[in-house]
Amino acid sequence: MKFVDEFRDPELGRALAGEILSLVEPGRHYKLMEVCGGHTHAIYKYGLDDMLPSNVELVHGPGCPVCVIPMGRVDDGIAVAQNDGVIFTCFGDMLRVPGSEGSLLEAKAAGADIRMVYSPLDALRLAKQNPDREVVFFAIGFETTAPSTALTLKRARTEGVKNFSVMCSHVTIVPPLRALLESPDLRLDGFIGPGHVSTIVGARPFEFIPADYGKPIAIAGFEPLDVMQAIVMILRQLAEGRCEVENQYSRVVPYEGNLRALEVMAEVFELRPHFEWRGLGFISHSGLKLSAAYSDLDAEQRFSVPGVRVADPKACQCGEVLKGVIKPWECKVFGSGCTPERPIGTCMVSSEGACAAYYNYGRFAREREVV
Amino acid sequence: VSALTRTSELDAGSGVACDSDHCITCGDDGVPMIVLATDDERGLALCDDEGVHASIETALVAPVIPGDRLLVHAGTAIFHLTRDGGQG
Repeated sequence: MKFVDEFRDPELGRALAGEILSLVEPGRHYKLMEVCGGHTHAIYKYGLDDMLPSNVELVHGPGCPVCVIPMGRVDDGIAVAQNDGVIFTCFGDMLRVPGSEGSLLEAKAAGADIRMVYSPLDALRLAKQNPDREVVFFAIGFETTAPSTALTLKRARTEGVKNFSVMCSHVTIVPPLRALLESPDLRLDGFIGPGHVSTIVGARPFEFIPADYGKPIAIAGFEPLDVMQAIVMILRQLAEGRCEVENQYSRVVPYEGNLRALEVMAEVFELRPHFEWRGLGFISHSGLKLSAAYSDLDAEQRFSVPGVRVADPKACQCGEVLKGVIKPWECKVFGSGCTPERPIGTCMVSSEGACAAYYNYGRFAREREVV
Repeated sequence: VSALTRTSELDAGSGVACDSDHCITCGDDGVPMIVLATDDERGLALCDDEGVHASIETALVAPVIPGDRLLVHAGTAIFHLTRDGGQG
């Protein structure tokens, strides 16, 4: 038995669906946001939304690290990659994110040396194998991924690897959640909290959601029963008039998080004054850059970066999808002009993106429903 | 499995890749892996995920020993499943 099998039991899933049904009040509409793209992916892959009563609506949040990268940032990466002697490295999904003049994959086809890596450690290894080249790692992701980048930077420093640098686009999860809660066009009843981000940061950073906004949150794992159980926990809080942070994913989420990870992040990174999010605009203190102590390993110090803000394509409604204002299939170009093969917006690039997840797993069911 | 016999594998790269279903790194996925060998001096462990071997940073969860199960994301162990894993 793998670690996950016990969390995919169909009978238990049906029991949880029954429990959800027993907790909802007829006539009341429940709008719950799953923060993390991994949850969005699980919901569509396992058809969890089909198991919910019609008055329980899931809204897809901004927690897909690829989907929130703005076009200008992709342009910056391509500009760095086009420098002579550079090997530019990034995670797989980032290769296909459209910039204003194409994606990293298209820049690679045009001659830039751009390579997919699984981890920043792989990028550092490339640097050691190619001492006459400059290896740049394009770091994206939330707090789950940032410690990996931080540890690799420390390792580069310890091992004296001079031809390695990081273009840091890491983001943090709390500021966009606060921005969403302040948004006047979005009314939410509760949150399914991010799982592996919370393995790093713990449950404590989410206490502001019940304390300041009076909304319940249940941190959840990524298996179908995890998500269903988190929905039960949120609905039970609402039914009982409670509002607090609950931890469905306690098997890997300590309340205080991973203190060593938080320490290494504090050493290597510092908060940017503001960072642009796709569709959400500039959000204060939501992005990370390398701290002064590591600025010599900062690719943005080592190479010229345009840093130009690029507006999203007019037809693309990723911003509204990321804010949960519209559903993926309500976007004008969903499934026609914008597909996983030829994405216009970032939400169609990563399978954790709401649009790609829906396109891959739910499109035909939705078409039947519309007909 | 001794550390010495697997040292070359520790330097060989992750061996793990994104597939067409999704990108496990971009997707905030955590992959359970089993420790095959350790290099405590360098803070690395050779880990296995159903036959796929990867060199993993262990600084966040050390100490680790062969046989331990770790939750791995982006080449870094973020949680020690054997020692700290609950049943929640």
